[in-house]
Amino acid sequence: MLNKEKLFIEVGSYQNNKHKNIVCGDSVLLRKCVGENRNIAVLSDGLGSGVKANVLSTMTASMAMNFRVRHEPIIRTVQSIMNTLPVDSVRNISYSTFTIVDVDSNGEANIVEYDNPSLILVRNGKVQQIEGSDTIIHRGNANTASLEERRLKLSNITLQKEDRLIFYSDGVTQSGIGNMDMPFGWGDLVYDFVENILKEQPQISARELSMKIVKQAELNDILRPKDDTSCVVMYVREPRKLLICTGPPFSETKDKYLAEIVSSYEGKKIVCGGTTSQILSRELKKEITVNIDDIVAGLPPKSEMEGIDLMTEGIITLGALVEILRKGQPTDLSGQGPAWDMLRMILDADIIDLLVGTKINVAHQDPSLPVELEIRRNVVKNIASLLETKFMKDVKMQFI
Amino acid sequence: MLNVRICVGTYCYITGGEELAKMKKNLPEDIKDKVEMIGSACLGCHDMEGVAKPPYAKVGDVLIQECTEEKLLDEIYRQLGMERK
Repeated sequence: MLNKEKLFIEVGSYQNNKHKNIVCGDSVLLRKCVGENRNIAVLSDGLGSGVKANVLSTMTASMAMNFRVRHEPIIRTVQSIMNTLPVDSVRNISYSTFTIVDVDSNGEANIVEYDNPSLILVRNGKVQQIEGSDTIIHRGNANTASLEERRLKLSNITLQKEDRLIFYSDGVTQSGIGNMDMPFGWGDLVYDFVENILKEQPQISARELSMKIVKQAELNDILRPKDDTSCVVMYVREPRKLLICTGPPFSETKDKYLAEIVSSYEGKKIVCGGTTSQILSRELKKEITVNIDDIVAGLPPKSEMEGIDLMTEGIITLGALVEILRKGQPTDLSGQGPAWDMLRMILDADIIDLLVGTKINVAHQDPSLPVELEIRRNVVKNIASLLETKFMKDVKMQFI
Repeated sequence: MLNVRICVGTYCYITGGEELAKMKKNLPEDIKDKVEMIGSACLGCHDMEGVAKPPYAKVGDVLIQECTEEKLLDEIYRQLGMERK
């Protein structure tokens, strides 16, 4: 049994487009069903590449995801997908692959695979295949000649702490085809690659591992990927905690309480806001230093205080963070400035505690100021919902 | 060493604190070595609503309101007892 308080499933994915394509023909959808405590990940590879493939895979993935969320039987799900997908005019088939992984809070993973490379389980640093049963599904009303039946692989497994599930599109296994050292593509050599990484970095996050696999596939093709490449990793681990504290408490009598929460928190800590920093400095009797040597990205500079991992200005920086979060999972993490520093810390965390002081800064309500100066509560609410829906984070909010 | 503190809190930052903070790199040659310019997350001036206006900076113990580059330099030279060129 997975202990809900102690264990957590981190889901990370990374994608790369076929060389010279502006959209990816694979789709990855991740969803966290908060009420039921389930994590669902869907990977679909559309026929061909480019926009057409993107449409096919997006349709497949979103149908698979929505049916799954509603606990529809898999046979109905697949039949609906088969009947809905448009028939390709060149190849005369309607086709896209998919893998659906549904992990509940007990660690029970329910896996459905169709035509993607086989999903792998990594346990104790060793790659294993999961045994499953094949199910054949017939297309309901077939007018087209080909592909009337489809063979699905269904499997179940109970995950343990430190297990990883890894699945990818054929862009990964077929990368490097024709190279001297892998004439038939990367194929099962991926397993050795994963095992080697885990030997060096046993704690590597799902996000980083998926990125490494996709980047290596790109290298196999000498930086000109021959197909769209996607990889999803689900990692069962001890959750990493992050506290984001912003805003002075509504009542000054709570200042001490705020300082207590911050100093006793077990995990990384971010403080956003000048006044908030000042309160902590006063209550915890620690000096703040502000580095004004480098002002990057038009944002107010970072400060430093002992015991706090990152200290920034408040509402402008949070606003910039919202802008970055809106764009979804970033592929490039090299951005500079306090907002990007925050994002990098957020991506490495699983449980994010938002501690929000609700005192209104009267000065900010001056009508001559830019409208971007929103009310803190709203900004934080936006951040929380983005982190839950787009980044699969466990977010808790507390207002003081 | 004369201590100059520039507020880079939200209100001060957007009303001109950004430019003041950037002055650190372009201080005139003659005072460069006599001034230590640092930032402050907030100088705690919120209570002065209606009395004084941002951005704020502190030169020594003197608080400057509605601070501009000119005002800041004038005050620095005054406290150093030097003639501004």
